[in-house]
Amino acid sequence: MNNMSPEVALNRISAELRPLLCSVVRNGRVGLDSTNCLRVTDLKTGCSSLTPGPCCDRFKLHIPYAGETLKWDIIFNAQHPQLPPDFIFGEDAEFLPEPSELPHLVHWDAENPESLLELVKEVLQQYHHYQCQRLRESSRLLFEYDSLLEEPSYGRNMEVYAGRKNTWTGEFSARFLLKLPVDFSNIPVYLLKDTALDPGEDVALLSVSFEDAEATQVFPKLYLSPSIEHALGGSSALHIPAFPSGGCLIDYVPQVCQLLTNKVQYVIQGYHKRREYIAAFLSYFGMGVVEYDAEGFTKLTLLLMWKDFCFLVHVDLPLYFPRDQPTLTFQSVYHFTNSGQLYSQVQKSYPYSPRWDGNEMAKRAKAYFKTFVPQFQEGAFANGKL
Amino acid sequence: MAASISGYTFSSVCYHSANSNSDHEGFLFGEVRQEETVSISDAQISSAELLQVIEIHNHDPCAQLFSFYDFAGKVNEENLKKIIKERRRNVIGWYRFRRNTQQQMSFREQVIHKQLTELLGVPDLVFLLFSFISTANSSTHAMEYVLFRPKIRAEFFDKDGVMKDIRTIFQVYSALQDKVQAVCGEVEQSERVREKIQEDVKKLKQQIALRKRKTAEEERRLRDAQNAATNSTPEEDTVPSVVTLLSRVSFHAPSAPERPNTSPNRPSYTDLLSQDDSLLSSGSPPTSAALLPRPQAVGSPGHPPPGPLGMSLGINSNPIPTPTTPYLGNGDGSSSDSLDRQAAGQEDDEDEEEEEDDEEDEDSSEYENLVSDAARFTMVSSSVFSQGRPASLSPDGDARGSQTT
Repeated sequence: MNNMSPEVALNRISAELRPLLCSVVRNGRVGLDSTNCLRVTDLKTGCSSLTPGPCCDRFKLHIPYAGETLKWDIIFNAQHPQLPPDFIFGEDAEFLPEPSELPHLVHWDAENPESLLELVKEVLQQYHHYQCQRLRESSRLLFEYDSLLEEPSYGRNMEVYAGRKNTWTGEFSARFLLKLPVDFSNIPVYLLKDTALDPGEDVALLSVSFEDAEATQVFPKLYLSPSIEHALGGSSALHIPAFPSGGCLIDYVPQVCQLLTNKVQYVIQGYHKRREYIAAFLSYFGMGVVEYDAEGFTKLTLLLMWKDFCFLVHVDLPLYFPRDQPTLTFQSVYHFTNSGQLYSQVQKSYPYSPRWDGNEMAKRAKAYFKTFVPQFQEGAFANGKL
Repeated sequence: MAASISGYTFSSVCYHSANSNSDHEGFLFGEVRQEETVSISDAQISSAELLQVIEIHNHDPCAQLFSFYDFAGKVNEENLKKIIKERRRNVIGWYRFRRNTQQQMSFREQVIHKQLTELLGVPDLVFLLFSFISTANSSTHAMEYVLFRPKIRAEFFDKDGVMKDIRTIFQVYSALQDKVQAVCGEVEQSERVREKIQEDVKKLKQQIALRKRKTAEEERRLRDAQNAATNSTPEEDTVPSVVTLLSRVSFHAPSAPERPNTSPNRPSYTDLLSQDDSLLSSGSPPTSAALLPRPQAVGSPGHPPPGPLGMSLGINSNPIPTPTTPYLGNGDGSSSDSLDRQAAGQEDDEDEEEEEDDEEDEDSSEYENLVSDAARFTMVSSSVFSQGRPASLSPDGDARGSQTT
């Protein structure tokens, strides 16, 4: 009954209501958090037990909103599928939207499969207004809200959840979920397609929780869509600054935006820099290039010869190149180690400067190879066996 | 609060609900009565308990859903009337039956309930919710019911969620504050006017005193001159006056001798003159102050209607129209006592009825009042002198001398 896959839910629902639920479950993205789709659970029927199935006409809809999950009951009547649904708003017993603000309810069209999804979106919008009204209980938080609202880039993509943390103490808390206006469009495509999940929309969400009405305990958290997170180096790579005590969202949010934008810029630049580096190496080493990563430009392998000694050089370019130095792995083509691997030596520090351009780096690398290869050769002969 | 439903009504509702293949709704008819229980025990004399009992007598199921409301949940009054017909007065609530749902009023039910309470005029309309759950193998079914009496808070809360009562109280408070501020302003203004008038009065009094002194000096000089003259020969111009005075004196004093100059009892005309002088002049300062009618503050809020008070003291209780004691207050015309002003009112009414309109007129400008007051004073002083024998006061307020008519 719980946590069923969408397909199972669709099979159990009454045939006439199936298209409505279909569009909700398959395409339903309401709100800012589009990574979490709408879930349907607890399918029940309003018909008598003698009615043959499938005849489920009522269910619980889970809607992600401002970091919370709203659980609303939606009630249809399978015997009268043309009638509009009714709602029970669960814990939000005081939430009562104005029917006139729900055009898809007033002009309910059972023939349109999108009707339910559109109605849910309208109700959610009213819920958002209701939560914003509740912010009035704290003038501090209301100020935060109003100041954000004035900025169209933030104000239009904001979800607010204002709830009582503790019914005994009556401590007031609120959470703001903001979609950050950061442009991810220039991130190289290769970085984005490695995720197993459907990447969906590239989005960065900032969630700021105010645990008390006076804004002394503030907890920000950054949520990135999986592809973006991967492109930027994983969750560990992104640390947002702590919320300054006595600060406001209208100052803090642009800070985080800027940080994120910088990171994105860095990644984009890194890609271009790597491409430049590899292009330079290609022109310097020409036939010596064995293979290279033509998509992400992260790897390059060279086969070089020095005084009849052939060796391979594997170059690994890190994500934050040119800030981070590429790793050079020298590998002998003749010698093996005890474990059966080709003898290799890794060099992480060698003359390098991030300010060099690709050509300069290739030139210096060549020079370095010349100085280092004798050592390597000795080592290979000494430690490896043929 | 308690609710009761007869067995057959309840079973009828269950029957209709269980046999419907969808959600089901209808209306409840009955009455609401108050039960008062008075319990007497040894510990206390009596205690009364009030219990409101909602009795459901019968129900009327609706033939179909959305029969009296539309998709938006707006109740159609015509359709409602058709369903309820003539039993409108007996409607105490409505009910809904829905399977496998939470025991909580839904969105549309709340919208409809609000409208029904308004349309039917029943603020305590109840909502009976039946829900039905079955076991997985349909072996056991349960019919649960909950009675709701939602408090329609619309009239208590305005759209901002602030209790209307509190808002009203705040409004009253702020209106009161404004009013108090306005009154304070008015009082301040009137006080200023009063101050100004008092200043003027002071000035005028000083002027009067000055003038009196001058007159006194002149008369003294005259007297001296006359004394010098009578010591030698009686002058023509003074004789008639002396004679008149003497004749007056002889009339008043029955034991007066025939020949004025011989009897020792007979007051000498010098004495008479001085006496007249004393009578004519202001005399003792308190008396002079007493002779001056108390000025009234124009526009004073504490100014009482002068009529009744003046009348009672002046005519009914005391045949002699005497000003009351407060006159002797400070002697310089200033007063902080409203009673003084009252006294002033009386005196003014008695003596100068023709000037009353000035005192009543509070809207006239300060300047105008001052001018008219000044005019009044001059007229007052002249009238005082012309009366000849105004009453002179002793400290305890008794009038001595002749009475004014």
